[in-house]
Amino acid sequence: MDIKEYIESGIIESYVLGLASPEEAAELESLGKQHPEIKQAVDEFALLIQQQAMQDSIMPPAEIKQQLMDALSDEFEAPKVLIMQPGGNKEETGDTKVKQLPSFSFWRTIAAASIILFIISAAMNVYYYNNYKSASDKYEALLIEKNSLQANNNTYQTKFSNLEQSINILQDSAMRVVKMPGVPGKQDNLATVYWDTKTKDVYVLANNLQQTPAGMQYQLWAIVDGNPVDAGLIGDCDGVCKMKNIPKAQKFAITLEKKGGSPTPNLKAMVVLGKV
Amino acid sequence: MLESGNKYSEAELVILLKERQQSAFSYLYDNYSGAIYSVILSIIPDRELANDVLQEVFVKIWRQIDSYDATKGRLFTWMINVTRNASIDTIRSKAFQNSQQNRELTETVYESAGSIDTNIDKIGLRKLVHKLKEEYKTLIELAYFQGYTQEEISKIMGIPLGTVKTRLRTALIQLRQIIKP
Repeated sequence: MDIKEYIESGIIESYVLGLASPEEAAELESLGKQHPEIKQAVDEFALLIQQQAMQDSIMPPAEIKQQLMDALSDEFEAPKVLIMQPGGNKEETGDTKVKQLPSFSFWRTIAAASIILFIISAAMNVYYYNNYKSASDKYEALLIEKNSLQANNNTYQTKFSNLEQSINILQDSAMRVVKMPGVPGKQDNLATVYWDTKTKDVYVLANNLQQTPAGMQYQLWAIVDGNPVDAGLIGDCDGVCKMKNIPKAQKFAITLEKKGGSPTPNLKAMVVLGKV
Repeated sequence: MLESGNKYSEAELVILLKERQQSAFSYLYDNYSGAIYSVILSIIPDRELANDVLQEVFVKIWRQIDSYDATKGRLFTWMINVTRNASIDTIRSKAFQNSQQNRELTETVYESAGSIDTNIDKIGLRKLVHKLKEEYKTLIELAYFQGYTQEEISKIMGIPLGTVKTRLRTALIQLRQIIKP
């Protein structure tokens, strides 16, 4: 048989379009096994018809697909994991290039477990981050409190140190104590001068002095042979304040002067006076 | 155009269909329903009826995929044959149910061949068949679109079986020349 003539006889078209009789179809299929060019001619025309039909596509109404999916819903199998082997000829049919993993449910379990662990992990991240934030805030607050306590502590230490010094001064056996009660009209005021008989240093303790008005300051005077000698301004010191060195004095007095002190006392503004 | 092969090769698609995978069926429908619908409409002009046949065809393809033999040809060729057979069965049973069709076979054929809606001549393969000479056109109309065997055509047209065979082959070769880009 002339194969070329056979191929060009119209039998190929007849077969592909389903118009060949069962006998003609059987003959073509059997000849196709011996002559690959027959099979090739069938494939070529089939592809031509397919391309033509694809070009002539008419979209069916959209709801038909859903109706079909619903109608066949019981017939679908659960999706399977497929592995494509590389290098396979895509047009080759018959042999299986798609292989199913034997332990699919195992992998699905692993995948599900991974997702669950990931979600738990994410939740724990949020939880621990919140805890960290809270601890961090508390730490900041404690740090501020600690600094504040430290500052207070320093203040108290300074105060304590001053007071200790004052006590030491007061306890010194060489210290002469001069009480200065309030002058008439200001009797409720009281101050004390401590005068070191060895070093001649003078300390003053404001037992009870009225609050100075704004812009005014108390000034200590030593009365030496009837003349007032500046013995220093009473500042912000706590407890016993160290004043100027006074070698000799018969009396001590405190006057209210303008801030910065005066060279001579304003006697009208005398608050306390005491004899040595 | 909805060409296949973007996602699955034909071989892969067949394997997945045989494994009853919904995704494969969905892909098959998305890619081929337009072409198949066009083939149905070239045989059944009634859209309602064509819609029913389209569903029927896809159910058949789905349920009979195991009977598809890849060594005998392309998946698409097989699907088109399923489509054509289902469509022809429908118009035949419809004609059978219809008392108006209770006439001589000859009359029916010529009547339906002549009374076909002009729109149908613009659909699919029929559009190309329309370009053929009258005698070839009638042969393909009877054989392909109405599904008569060559023996039946011989009786209908009153020409010898051998002549039907030869003319049909010639008609198909000419049709191929028209399809050829």
